[in-house]
Amino acid sequence: MSLAMITEPSAMTAASHAGSLLWLIPFLPFFGFLINGLSGRRLKNTKVVDFFALGSVGLAFLLTLVQFGQLFGLPAESRSIHQTLWTWFDAGGARVLGGLSTYKIAWAYKFDALSGCMALLVTGAGFLIHLFSTGYMAEERNDGRYYRFMAYMNLFVFSMLNLVLGANIMMMFLGWEGVGLCSYLLIGFYFDKEFAAVAGKKAFVTNRIGDFGFMIGFFLIFMVFGSLDYDTLMGSARGLMALPSISLFGHTASPTWWFNVIGCCLFVGAMGKSAQIPLYVWLPDAMAGPTPVSALIHAATMVTSGLYMITRLNFIYVNAPVALSVVLAFGSLTAFVAATMGLAQYDIKKVLAYSTVSQLGFMFMGMGAGAFAAGMFHVFTHAFFKASLFLGSGAVIAACHHEQDMRNMGGLRKLMPITSMSMILATFAIAGIFPFSGFFSKDEILWKVFDGWYHHGLYDGPTLNLVAWILGMLGAFCTAFYMTRLIAMTFYGDYRGAGNDPYGLSVQSEAHHAHDDHAHGAHGHLENHVHELDHAHDHHGDDPEDHDIVPGHHPHEVTWRMWLPVSILAGLAVVGGFLNYPESLHRILPIVPAELFTKWIEPLLYQVAPAAHGEHVPPAMEYGLMAWATLVWAPGAMLLAWWIYKVDPSWSRAKAFVTRFPRVFEWVNAKYYVDEFYEAALIGPIKRLSAQLWSFDTWVVDGMVNGAARFTVIWADSMHWVDQKIVDGAVNGVAWIIQEVSLLFRRLQSGRVQHYAFVMFLGFLVFAFWKFLA
Amino acid sequence: MASLNSVLLISFALFSIGVAGVLIRRNALVILMSVELMLNAANLNFIAFARHSGSASGQAFALLVMGFAAAEVAVGLALVVALYRRRDTVQVDDINLLKG
Amino acid sequence: MEHLLESLGRNMFGIFGLMALGGAALMVASKSAVHSVLAFLFAMLSVAGCFLSLEAEFLGVAQILVYAGGIVVLFLFVVMLVEISKFKQKEQQAVFHSQSRIALVAVIAGIGAFAGIFRNALFGPTSPEALVLRPELARGLDVAKQNAQAVSRGLFADYLLPFEILSVILLVALVGAVVLAKSERV
Repeated sequence: MSLAMITEPSAMTAASHAGSLLWLIPFLPFFGFLINGLSGRRLKNTKVVDFFALGSVGLAFLLTLVQFGQLFGLPAESRSIHQTLWTWFDAGGARVLGGLSTYKIAWAYKFDALSGCMALLVTGAGFLIHLFSTGYMAEERNDGRYYRFMAYMNLFVFSMLNLVLGANIMMMFLGWEGVGLCSYLLIGFYFDKEFAAVAGKKAFVTNRIGDFGFMIGFFLIFMVFGSLDYDTLMGSARGLMALPSISLFGHTASPTWWFNVIGCCLFVGAMGKSAQIPLYVWLPDAMAGPTPVSALIHAATMVTSGLYMITRLNFIYVNAPVALSVVLAFGSLTAFVAATMGLAQYDIKKVLAYSTVSQLGFMFMGMGAGAFAAGMFHVFTHAFFKASLFLGSGAVIAACHHEQDMRNMGGLRKLMPITSMSMILATFAIAGIFPFSGFFSKDEILWKVFDGWYHHGLYDGPTLNLVAWILGMLGAFCTAFYMTRLIAMTFYGDYRGAGNDPYGLSVQSEAHHAHDDHAHGAHGHLENHVHELDHAHDHHGDDPEDHDIVPGHHPHEVTWRMWLPVSILAGLAVVGGFLNYPESLHRILPIVPAELFTKWIEPLLYQVAPAAHGEHVPPAMEYGLMAWATLVWAPGAMLLAWWIYKVDPSWSRAKAFVTRFPRVFEWVNAKYYVDEFYEAALIGPIKRLSAQLWSFDTWVVDGMVNGAARFTVIWADSMHWVDQKIVDGAVNGVAWIIQEVSLLFRRLQSGRVQHYAFVMFLGFLVFAFWKFLA
Repeated sequence: MASLNSVLLISFALFSIGVAGVLIRRNALVILMSVELMLNAANLNFIAFARHSGSASGQAFALLVMGFAAAEVAVGLALVVALYRRRDTVQVDDINLLKG
Repeated sequence: MEHLLESLGRNMFGIFGLMALGGAALMVASKSAVHSVLAFLFAMLSVAGCFLSLEAEFLGVAQILVYAGGIVVLFLFVVMLVEISKFKQKEQQAVFHSQSRIALVAVIAGIGAFAGIFRNALFGPTSPEALVLRPELARGLDVAKQNAQAVSRGLFADYLLPFEILSVILLVALVGAVVLAKSERV
């Protein structure tokens, strides 16, 4: 194993071209964050905040378009624009598989086919959602919190662009952590509400658990490959796979074994970030954040970073069949379970959240079946229709004065025509009806999963694929069902929020009370800020006293800032599917070129064998399944939901079902008590352990510290005693001795003359005796 | 006739009694009288040696000493009177302002 | 009878000497100051007798004149002046010094030492002819038979300067005594 083998260049490496403005794409939103974040508080006019926030993201989008255009001019094998900004840190001298590494981790960007598409999505959807939030967050303009929201959104766009545009895994990890941070900041944006702060914490901690696996994964990649650069890694993979065995940490195994381990570890990270079982629990709680946050982060971009990571590192996964199976299993399980959870939710955002989890499961199913292009395409189509749905629900919530329970809505189709039409179109897309985009992407995934087992008629694939396909089909059924349920509950019938509820379907609203506290202060300021003639305030021009169930109060269509992004995204959801028109359909209906997207990113995918696509005849099973899904399965689900929730305005059949199977409903509504299980089995014991450690720290460690302090005090006291008694005693003793001696001598001075005479006589006596005895 | 020894003895004893009186008695007048006694003993000594040597110088000197003793008594008594006026006592023990 | 007078005449000096010692001891030991003065007087007269028995007539008479006549009278005056207050006070004051025992011991020790030093002079033999007066020493005057002349010769011829100085001292003493004994209010 010499270094030469590992870094052997291969035809699969994408060569790089230098781009001088590439760095601006992530850094423009970063500058917007800095400006808004540092000086936004002082800006009284929030239009300046808008300018910087929207301007930076918009400009980044235009730059992305320019760079994307440049990509077209490059040949397919080297379709990548590179820019290295500086050396981040030097990982040279580390002990890796081939010896000592000389790798320097650079802050570098790589704009190639895959990251270019993702960058377009991030900046484009980001811009639309920023525009939406300028209308949606109108109340916060007067609360002084507006600049903070825009700053965090810009920071999020910067982090996400780092993630997708990074040229090495460390840049991706930087973006990974950055989006996790921004997710926490934005979910807990209303940090004075406890449920929002707790939700933010939950998101961050769950992400972190996933990040642990991710880090192990890319540490292993560094150990095995000696580098983290995508180009280098792609080039070295083939050479490494050809090795008979790899020895690391004293363990020897085949390269496939190591790649399996790496793949599974990386998937743990994807589990956390992209909300798969068992780390999905944060996503529904993340709906506590404002709706634009849910749209941008938890529908379109952040949750797809796990999928981007898998596609980027596909050379690992292609050579790691066990990891792929794990991905497929978890993805299909998530797709089905989350879809069932969405059936019994009443909060409109919660339905969409579980739908997101389920659709992410679909994407992972595609990855797990080896269809990276199909999975990635579903990322994009999902971004379109899910963002449209989330923004539309945001518009609905804003129009109903922050009412989120669907039982208190209804009849909004006539009151908010544009929003409702956009959401209905998006629903068709997500259900998978031809020719909307969801059909193309979801169907492709399901076909690839099925074909993994079917194998073009040989039926010799792993059974896991069959099980996964069945779970996926059931999930698709549930998806179509609950989305139609959502549309029926929200937009059809009569509006139930103003007290007009003949069937007794509405419930006590919690949102109004919260909103009242929120809005009273805002409206107080409104009177003073007449100059802020923002259309967003139109629908808040109503007197707050009308918020309670008062007849005569109805929602109306929202400002253009809000319905425009919803419509644009819905339009993309309608036509976007044709970007990856499947080959099988192209043969019988060649209206657009086939598989544009797949061909676009194909040079970035590691090919085990030379690709032979477009040459074989698609089997009849493919057409059969496609027709079944779009003509029978999905419409059937939609008609079922329609029949239960629209045809009968009292939802009596639904109520009858609940009455007959109360336990089933209760379990599904409570999301199978997964959160409670986590709390009891994991979080509770950890908290108790922490309490034990805290008491250890307080008693033992602090005890030692305090004991040392007390010892010092005692020592000081004894020294003081020594000083007082012994030292001062010695000094005073000398003085005392002198005094006593001098007292003796004082007796001589009696003041009596006779005494002096006697002393004289004594002197004479001494002299006399001396003479006498001499 | 007395021998020299006996005269000397007598004068020596007289002198000793005088010394004892000076040291023992508290009354200032008695102390002064004891001093006179000592002077007288010295005079006796002078006379004794004058007789022993046959010269009159001793006797002349003894006369001088006698005059001197008179002067001294005058001054001493004046002192005692002044002291008595000031301190109302002639006990030398009470005159101890120099006591330290 | 003549034998007694004979021996009395032979031991004249011893008798007078012992009388002087007795008077002196009385003087030192008596409690009252007046008794002391009287005992002192007795002692002075006895010493005068000693002088006379040693054939120093001039000095003996001078002793009586000066001491017994002048000094004792002075002492008596002052004692009377001082001791009046004693009769006013009722308390008895101590006669002897508080440390008189030690002083006595010291005095006796001193006597012993002195006697020891001068034992030869005090207890040894003396030349017998010492008591024989030699006329040639007195420049022709016999000290015993012509005592006044001899003394005056010694006083005014041999020791004239001390004599004059003595007169000055007497003058100083006179002035001093007057000044010292003057009363506060004049």
